[in-house]
Amino acid sequence: MSGVSLKPRAPFEARVDFSGITPAVTGPLTLRELEHLAVPHGTRSVPLAELFFIEGAPDGVLLIEIGDARLDGVGAGMLEGELIVDGPVGAWAGRGMAGGILRIAGTAGDFLGAELSGGRIELAGDAGAHAGAASSGSRRGMSGGVIKISGHAGARAAERQRGGLILIDGDAGEGLATDMIAGTVSVGGAIGPLAGRGMKRGTILATSVPALPAGFVDTGAHELVALALLARRVPELARLKDWGSARRLVGDTLLGGQGEVLAPG
Amino acid sequence: MIINGVEIRDTFAEAFPMVGTRLIVTADTPEWALIAGRTTTGFATSVIGCGCEAAIERTLSAEETPDGRPGVSLLIFAMDFGSLKKVVPLRLGQCVLTCPTTACYAGIETGKRVPLAKTIRYFADGHQISKKIGNKRFWRLPVMEGEFVCDEDTGSVEGVGGGNFLILARSRGAALKAAEAAVAAMGKVEGIILPFPGGVVRSGSKVGSKYKGLFASSNDAYCPTLRGTRPSALPPEVGSVLEIVIDGVSFAAVAEATRVGIQAACAVGQEGGVVAIDAGNYGGNLGPFHFKLREIMGTEGGAA
Repeated sequence: MSGVSLKPRAPFEARVDFSGITPAVTGPLTLRELEHLAVPHGTRSVPLAELFFIEGAPDGVLLIEIGDARLDGVGAGMLEGELIVDGPVGAWAGRGMAGGILRIAGTAGDFLGAELSGGRIELAGDAGAHAGAASSGSRRGMSGGVIKISGHAGARAAERQRGGLILIDGDAGEGLATDMIAGTVSVGGAIGPLAGRGMKRGTILATSVPALPAGFVDTGAHELVALALLARRVPELARLKDWGSARRLVGDTLLGGQGEVLAPG
Repeated sequence: MIINGVEIRDTFAEAFPMVGTRLIVTADTPEWALIAGRTTTGFATSVIGCGCEAAIERTLSAEETPDGRPGVSLLIFAMDFGSLKKVVPLRLGQCVLTCPTTACYAGIETGKRVPLAKTIRYFADGHQISKKIGNKRFWRLPVMEGEFVCDEDTGSVEGVGGGNFLILARSRGAALKAAEAAVAAMGKVEGIILPFPGGVVRSGSKVGSKYKGLFASSNDAYCPTLRGTRPSALPPEVGSVLEIVIDGVSFAAVAEATRVGIQAACAVGQEGGVVAIDAGNYGGNLGPFHFKLREIMGTEGGAA
């Protein structure tokens, strides 16, 4: 393969903070410089080569063979290039990413794509809580880009989402799109309780009308041209063209919100 | 140069730089898309009196449009970008937004941005909904019929306005028949419009007037009823002249349309009453684009 390949020497004994080790950072480095790159490991900082076998030539693609749920911050701060993980990752994967593609073949921990502003994350497995959400203490979650979760998403996905698109093929946990500000989240499976609570704007695309907080108002079924447009512009949303009409529920009106939940009419 | 007995005069059409944009308007049915297109491009024959020149470029099948519904593509040209930014949102707001079932999308992605929903979204009085997919933002405006969907803006091009040729014929009927044939053939050329009624002008103009304040007046040298009273460009057998005016997104597009149109007019031929093909110019001193008829007609399938 082209690019750099990292293979863990052994299962990590402590959490590894991979934040900032992105194709844009590794690309200009020689293999030797890469080996000496400092990585937080538990309470210590160790050279990258102490944790990984490193092969290949830096060229904008980074492959982590055999992921690890203790590997945190994979792809965090990515600006360009491609980072592939052939297995699971820990928390904060793709946090603050602004460009490039992060592909994860396994599961991801909490805060996947938190505060993402651009680029694309593709997760083959399940995501933990707070996917695409705001970091603790932050006012805004992801503002752009795409997060595609092929499995299920944990609680509070899209919390305080400000923009961009989250595609969840499976179920979404409790509190989906809590305090959502804008953007779109699509759920292919079931949606947990309290979805949309505190929603200001933004869109939840559901396969059926979920149980919603009291502040949601049913505006009825409508033929929406916007769904046909979304179906064409986003291949993963092609199913929307078959909806015919859509039930539109607006909320959270108790807080003056104008967010919407759309489901087949 | 003679084609099918029709003289191609050794002259050129003189055209000007214009700034243009393309809108894609869709609707539930082809009929409503056409209504929206015709309304939006109405009263847009000449920048002299209308502020812009606009027409339907072509109809679009459902497969060709962003939302999978039938549509039309419209080209709108103005003399400068500032004017274009004013006229497009006005026409969009009055003629597309108001038309049942329509939506409007950008037809050009490059160049300076011309506002669409960026301007007219305020009609929704705070209920407008924005969606950004990739780098493109579109807006949903609640209206009494449902929702109006519109891209935030569209791109623009530096195009060419005022390409033209004149059909000199023995009679009004012959001129009209040749003009109709030319318009039909030119309709297949992408990137151009013929902004006048049915694509044809019967009142071609010259620059200036004897009356103060008029920028243009009747092109008396080509008026058959004035022959003998004024210097005339018409041979004795010519009884009627019609003009085809062409605006396009590029010199090449206008040149190709000119070639195709003249070819079609000449197909009517001397036997059909067509005498000559001429062109309007101002001596080459005003417009930087010169479409030399004989060069164009000598270039099969290409620009002069």
